[in-house]
Amino acid sequence: MNGEHEVVTQPILSIRNLVKTYPNGVRALKGVTFDVQKGEFLVIIGLSGSGKSTLLRCINRLHDPTSGEILFQGEDLAKAQGDGIRRIRGRIGMIFQHFNLIPRHTVLSNVLMGRLGITSTWKSLFGLWKDDDKARALDYLRLVGIADKAKIRADQLSGGQQQRVAIARALTQNPDLLLADEPVASLDPATCHTVMDYLRKVNRELGITVVANLHFLSLVREYATRVIALKGGEIVYEGSPHNIDEAWFARIYGEGSKEVHIN
Amino acid sequence: MNRSSLIRRTVFDSLTFGFLGVVFLIAIAQPTDRQMLELGRNSLIFLAAMVAGAVLSSVLNDVLKIRTLGEAIFAPAHKKAQLEETSWWKTFSGWQLAVTIVVMFVVALVKTKFSLYELLNEDGFAGAVRLFQGLLNPNFALLPRAVLNIIETIFMAFLATMLAIPIAFVLSFLCAKNIMKSPPAFALYLVLRTFLNVTRSIEALIWAIIFSVWVGIGPFAGMLALMIHSVASLAKQYSEMVETVSDGPIEGIQSTGATKLQTIWFAIVPQVVLPYISFTVYRWDINVRMATIIGLVGGGGIGTMLMTYQGQAMWPEVGCIILVIAAVVWAMDQASAYLREALK
Repeated sequence: MNGEHEVVTQPILSIRNLVKTYPNGVRALKGVTFDVQKGEFLVIIGLSGSGKSTLLRCINRLHDPTSGEILFQGEDLAKAQGDGIRRIRGRIGMIFQHFNLIPRHTVLSNVLMGRLGITSTWKSLFGLWKDDDKARALDYLRLVGIADKAKIRADQLSGGQQQRVAIARALTQNPDLLLADEPVASLDPATCHTVMDYLRKVNRELGITVVANLHFLSLVREYATRVIALKGGEIVYEGSPHNIDEAWFARIYGEGSKEVHIN
Repeated sequence: MNRSSLIRRTVFDSLTFGFLGVVFLIAIAQPTDRQMLELGRNSLIFLAAMVAGAVLSSVLNDVLKIRTLGEAIFAPAHKKAQLEETSWWKTFSGWQLAVTIVVMFVVALVKTKFSLYELLNEDGFAGAVRLFQGLLNPNFALLPRAVLNIIETIFMAFLATMLAIPIAFVLSFLCAKNIMKSPPAFALYLVLRTFLNVTRSIEALIWAIIFSVWVGIGPFAGMLALMIHSVASLAKQYSEMVETVSDGPIEGIQSTGATKLQTIWFAIVPQVVLPYISFTVYRWDINVRMATIIGLVGGGGIGTMLMTYQGQAMWPEVGCIILVIAAVVWAMDQASAYLREALK
C-alpha cells in the first residue's frame, strides 16, 4: 500500500541542484532545485537572461549541464551520453519561440520528423515513413486543428499555425513531457491564446506534463497550475500563479517594472 | 588595443614603409641585374626596411599620436568609434595610402615595360591588323571539327563537375565549423580545411600539367585537373553555406531525438540545397571556360585545337575556333544565370 502511494506521488521530473556555467564564464544556473508532478502545467517566469531557456535546454540535453541531477522517470538525464541523450530527447517533446520547423518541407513532413528518434536513419533519409506514423501525424494535426494544411509548405503558414505544427511534431514523439520555450513570444496577442489553448488541451486531454517559459503574467495566471520564478539563475519564487502580487512582481522583474496585460 | 590588431597594424605598416624605403633605395643606388639577383642579401635588406617600418609605425602611433594607415584599418571598432571626421588629405594615413599606391603604380609601369611606343608602333600594329583580319574572316571549313572538340570540352567540364559534387558534398559538412565542434572533429576540420586551401591555391592549369604527366596528355588529364579544382572550390563554397544555416531548425530536429546524420539531412540540407545547386551550375559554367584554358597545356578539347592553330599563326582558323568558344561560353553563361535566378 505504502509503495503504491510512493509511485503515485513520485515526481515525473526532479531537478536537483542544477548548475550550468557556459565556457565564457557566464553562470546561467546557480543550483536550481525543483520537482514537477505528472500532469502539471508548470510555468517558469523571469527576465531575459535569467536562465529560463538554459534550464529547459539542459533538461533535454540540447545544452550540457555543468553539475547537478535531472531525474526524469527515475533516470538521471544529466549523466546520459551519446545514444542515451537521443533516447531521452525522444521521450521529451519541445517547442520553440521561433517554431524551428523546416521551412521547405510540407507540414506533414515536418510533423513526421517527430518520429525521427525511433526511425532507422536510412529509412528516414529515403523518406520511408511507416503508414502508422503517417496516420499518427495526421491525427495530431487534426488535434491542433490544422489537418487541412498537411500538404502545404511550412513556410507558407502564419506564425500561430507554424507553432501548432510544432506542437503536432512534438506530440508525434509520443512524449511524457513537453517543454515549451517562449512558445508565444513571437506571436500576436490573438494567436497567443489559440496556441496556449492547444497547449492546455494537450496537458489536460492527453495528460502530458508541460513545462513552459512565459513572459506575460496574465497568460501565466490563466494557464499555469504552478509557477517558478528565476532571477539570475536562482529560484526566487515557487507556488501558485495567483499569489504573485505586486511585491513579488517587483522582486522578480526588478523595482519599477510594470505588468503588461495581454488579452 | 588588443594584440591581434596591434600585430596586424605593425605588419601592414612595416610592409608599406619597408616597400617605400626599398623602392627609394633602389632608385638611388641603381643596382645592377647581378645585384638584384642576390636573393639572400636583398631579403635581409627588405627585412631591415620592414623592421625600420615597424619601429616607425610604433613611434608614429604611440609616441607622436599620428595615426598610420595600419592603425586606421586595423584599429578595433571601439577605438574607431571615437574618431572625428577629417578629410583624407589632412590625415597622415590618407597620404600614406596615396603615396604607396602611386609608388606601386610607378613600379608596375617599370616592371611591365609599359610602352606607348610599342603599342602604337607601325610594324607591330600592322601585325595585329593581319591577326584581326584573320579573326574577323573565320575559316568555317574548320567548323565541324571545332564543334566536335568543344563538345569534348563541355563534357569534360560536365564530368569534372559531376564527380566533384558528391566529394564536395561530404567534405562541406566536415569543413563546417558549426558541425565539427568536438575537439577530435575540430582537428579533422582543421586538417581538411588546410588540405583544401592548399589544393585550391594550386591552379587548375598546374593540376593539368601534373595529370598530363600522370595519365598522359589528353582530355582525361584535363578532366581530372578540373575535378580536383572543383572539389576544393565547391567544398569551400558549400561549407560556407553550411556555416550560415540558422540554428533553429537544427535544435528543432535534435529535440526529437534525431541522430547526427538525420539532423544534417533534415535540418541543414534543406537550408543549403538551393545555393548548392546554384554554385554547382555556376561551377560547370566556370569549368567549361577553364577547360578551354587547360586545353592549352594539352588537356584536350577545344583548347588543344586552339593551341595548334595559334602556333602556326593560322588566324582565320583561330578565328573560327574563338567564335565557337565565345558562342558556347555565352550560352552557358546565360543559361546558368537564368537557372540560378530561378533557384533563388
